[in-house]
Amino acid sequence: MIKLWDDNKIPYYNKEYQDGFMPSITPYIVENAKTCILICPGGGYRTVCTDHEGVQIANYLNKLGISAFMLEYRIAPYKHPTEITDAKRAMRYVRYLAKEYGYDKHKIGAMGFSAGGHLAGCLGVFDSDFGYEPQDEIDKESSKPDFLILCYPALSLCQYAHRGTFVNLSEDLSNDAAVRLSVEKNVSETTPPTFLFHTIGDCDVPVENSILMAKALSRHKVKFELHTYTHGMHGVALCDRDFQEEKVKKYTSFWKKNLHNWLRSMNYLD
Amino acid sequence: MKLWGNNIPPFYNKDYLDGFMPLVEPYIKEGAKSCVIICPGGGYSHKAMEHEGRHVAEYFNSIGVSAFVLDYRLKPYKHPIPVIDAKRAIRLARSLAGKYGYDKDKIGIMGFSAGAHLAGSAGTFKGDFGYDLQDDIDKESSRPDFMILCYPVVSCVQYSHRGSFENLSEDLSPKSARELSIEENVDKTTPPTFIFHTSGDICVPVENSLLMASALSRYEIPFEIHTFNIYGYHGVGLANGRKPAVHLEYVEMWADNLKNWLEGMGFIN
Repeated sequence: MIKLWDDNKIPYYNKEYQDGFMPSITPYIVENAKTCILICPGGGYRTVCTDHEGVQIANYLNKLGISAFMLEYRIAPYKHPTEITDAKRAMRYVRYLAKEYGYDKHKIGAMGFSAGGHLAGCLGVFDSDFGYEPQDEIDKESSKPDFLILCYPALSLCQYAHRGTFVNLSEDLSNDAAVRLSVEKNVSETTPPTFLFHTIGDCDVPVENSILMAKALSRHKVKFELHTYTHGMHGVALCDRDFQEEKVKKYTSFWKKNLHNWLRSMNYLD
Repeated sequence: MKLWGNNIPPFYNKDYLDGFMPLVEPYIKEGAKSCVIICPGGGYSHKAMEHEGRHVAEYFNSIGVSAFVLDYRLKPYKHPIPVIDAKRAIRLARSLAGKYGYDKDKIGIMGFSAGAHLAGSAGTFKGDFGYDLQDDIDKESSRPDFMILCYPVVSCVQYSHRGSFENLSEDLSPKSARELSIEENVDKTTPPTFIFHTSGDICVPVENSLLMASALSRYEIPFEIHTFNIYGYHGVGLANGRKPAVHLEYVEMWADNLKNWLEGMGFIN
């Protein structure tokens, strides 16, 4: 585990929040891997699901021959922009470590689940917003991912929002704030290529989040793939846990094949 | 086999298409539970019968599904003749379920490009458009149990493929445009739908599929949409290189997504 910040220089730090938790990235490095992915687990900005949307994802990526870092970012009671500050620092740190660990600094993606998908999406669309005072060599790196993998992402804070995610994220719950922080409303031509995966039966984060994002990406001529699946509620992740229903394990799991296919087509996987 | 059997097709005009009579070509697979009617594309002015018709039927047979390739009437015939042919094809297939062994309630319709507009019309447009139901075949329901729409022409209101609609209808007023738009006709009776599109399609924009997905989601109709990233291709069929289809290495997985969906929905054993 690598702490994101020097102990005395954590922006917005409050030792009363989250029992004094300090945000970190944990490396999962594969020798000879060219591509690296920063994993942003979900949890509605109220928790961070480091198991099924964190460590298990890292292990899965490693099996594909991709290096990974799991991000543990700050959440409620911290408010925006704490989370994006941690995420930008994490992306810069991962890029900074490219020469040490051997992956290509221009093949670094962000992969987010649910609220973590919102966070990863923010890394893709908020280039110059929500910056922080550069501290060291690490902050010379770009915080922008080269590609995005968004899994049942809570991208929109407007009509199809997961209300809890918005409330946990932002002090300001006005319509203006919702628009300002909705990923699909901030897409531009420079948004990185994006892979979207969602289950249609998701009652927590409606599939419209991914459809709206696809529309925005298409409008700005950004490369994307959108894949929606029939079976499974919110949070299916790798679709390989014992308690999950058979149809999720058998049919929704196909999303991983679409992901491999896309990564190969983009040259991020051999 | 002739779509209308020994009857003259409704609204038949012997001066159109050299007296062509619409047909279905059966591709029956023993043991198949379901059957798909395939509508090749071609902007309602011609039909890509090979790579958006027969090759696809053979693919279905290889995965245990029966099929009929629909050789439907098109330009200079106008709307509603193509959809009358498509609804007839569904009724005909349903009437043959006993003979060929697939289930009466597992009859799907599939189309490519304008053929997908046709398939979508058959799945969402209500009524028989002035055709008086005549024989036993017409007693069958014309509602498909599922739809498969491939790089579909969907909307006549936005992102529309003008050529297809100009060939289909003289009336493209705003009211007519809405009536001809598949996404405007989706409601709670719309069948489960599988949608495939290439994200960078410059002929029929992917927004057609995204609009369809939004409409299906609004009515809570089960659907899957799979858009594959490649710029500038339309009419790819199975994308497997079987001429005249081009081989697109990272797009041809779409057929596997289709098989996965059909299995998950119980349409394949």
